[in-house]
Amino acid sequence: MSSHIVIEGLGKAFAPRGGRRPAVIFDGLDMRIEAGQLVALVGPSGCGKSTLLNLIAGLDAPDAGAIRFDGRARDSRLAMVFQQPRLVDWLTAEENIALAFEREGTRPPGDARETVRALLRKVGLTEHSGAYPQFLSGGQRQRVAIARAFAVDPDILLLDEPFSALDELTARRLRLLLQSLWGEADGPRPTGVLVTHNMLEAALLADRIFVLNGHPGHFAAVMDIDIPHPRDPEDPALFAIHREVLHALGEA
Amino acid sequence: MSPEASSAGRLVPGAVHEAPQAIRARTAGWRIAAGRLAPVVLPLLLLGLVAGGWEAMAVALHSPLVPHLPEIGKELGRVFKGGRFFGEMAVTLLRVGAGFAIAFVAAVAAGIAMGRQKAVAHFLEPAIIVGLTVPGLVWALLCVIWFGIGLTGAAVAVALSIAPALLLNILQGVRAVDAELLEVAAMLRLPLRKRLTCLWLPSLMPTLLGGARLGLSLAWKVVVLVELFGLSSGIGYQLNSEFGAQNVAGVIAWTLGFAAVMAVIEYGVLAQLEHHLMRWRRTAQV
Repeated sequence: MSSHIVIEGLGKAFAPRGGRRPAVIFDGLDMRIEAGQLVALVGPSGCGKSTLLNLIAGLDAPDAGAIRFDGRARDSRLAMVFQQPRLVDWLTAEENIALAFEREGTRPPGDARETVRALLRKVGLTEHSGAYPQFLSGGQRQRVAIARAFAVDPDILLLDEPFSALDELTARRLRLLLQSLWGEADGPRPTGVLVTHNMLEAALLADRIFVLNGHPGHFAAVMDIDIPHPRDPEDPALFAIHREVLHALGEA
Repeated sequence: MSPEASSAGRLVPGAVHEAPQAIRARTAGWRIAAGRLAPVVLPLLLLGLVAGGWEAMAVALHSPLVPHLPEIGKELGRVFKGGRFFGEMAVTLLRVGAGFAIAFVAAVAAGIAMGRQKAVAHFLEPAIIVGLTVPGLVWALLCVIWFGIGLTGAAVAVALSIAPALLLNILQGVRAVDAELLEVAAMLRLPLRKRLTCLWLPSLMPTLLGGARLGLSLAWKVVVLVELFGLSSGIGYQLNSEFGAQNVAGVIAWTLGFAAVMAVIEYGVLAQLEHHLMRWRRTAQV
């Protein structure tokens, strides 16, 4: 298996306003993510999880080091799900998903509308295809956001705390939905990076967990999770992993 | 059910209770009727009060400077006879429309550029500040001198007068465009055309509609001045000739006709457009 995403000597600092000393988030961070794996980034607030994800997404630029995708500077098919759904309010659920096809080379062969309908069916929103986001519930909006991410058949899927703004029951359903979408992917599975502060969520979904901690951020532990997919959210083995992650963070 | 909804239906001890459904049905019916009538009745009520107040003033002062309502009515009849009013109004509308279109397109382009590029913002800021302080009268005079009498002068005067206010308005809208959505556009690598049509213009739509109202209201004031100074047609020219004849009722009649056309544009065009363009917005039910 080849490494899909390679991060070498990553450096990033934010200069606060008012001329105080810059906050160093990363200073020489290395990371390798294998193709087709879903990795989880866990750690306390402010340790740079989301910053790392934004750097991989290209929404922010590193101060030092490099991020390469199969040896290239930028990946062609990258999709992201944010903590907030970030839907376009004046487009219907269907139109929001179809927006993903506006990028050159992403239009699906055949009927784009049919592809969107199939996605809406997979995320369970067939009846709401014509609804505007403000008329959908929080969980339904996040389902649209997930469908939009899967629409382009991504090589890389970045998930920035995608379930943390939802109530626990909705979050649980969406985790299982994500797990099944991941398993169903036609062709090779995308490479995924999931940022979360929920260690059970990481244990449920990830093939490998990176525990990020400290200032500047470094990996306190890297754990491979060998339980086969799809996993049962009540599997006691997940709780054992949860405990292990806490231990790595010095909390237990 | 939300906690508010359940407590609203609770009975108060000691009070005499009617069947709650009956009360709800009655108040709901009344509310719906009132809600439908209010947008028609209330504006008419204001107009009626103003007309009544005016007539009371005319009776009390007994002066040729404050004509009675029937006199104004007679003048209105004269103004509208043979479609004369609509001919003059069409001429004025064309001038306003041309000037407004120039200013609107320029302000949208400059507003987005200023919101995205600090250098452009620094470069154009003095133009806004100076532009806002120049009275419309000055542009009207200068444009009549520069361009003579014709559509160009009127359109340029209107455009110069309203562009700064329009630009300031649009600039605030551009700065309020959701940064998170722009990140989504970057993540989806949307082409520029789609970013403009799917993100920027719809995001700016409330601002643009507000700007259109503001710009149009300023445009009327300026176009009337241009017509008054240099042109031999249009509402402003007619107002000036009534003024020359010391005909107060005539001035009021032309102004009323003018205001009526403005109301048609506001209620008939802008409000309908807003209702259609904002259909995605959920409004609060409280």
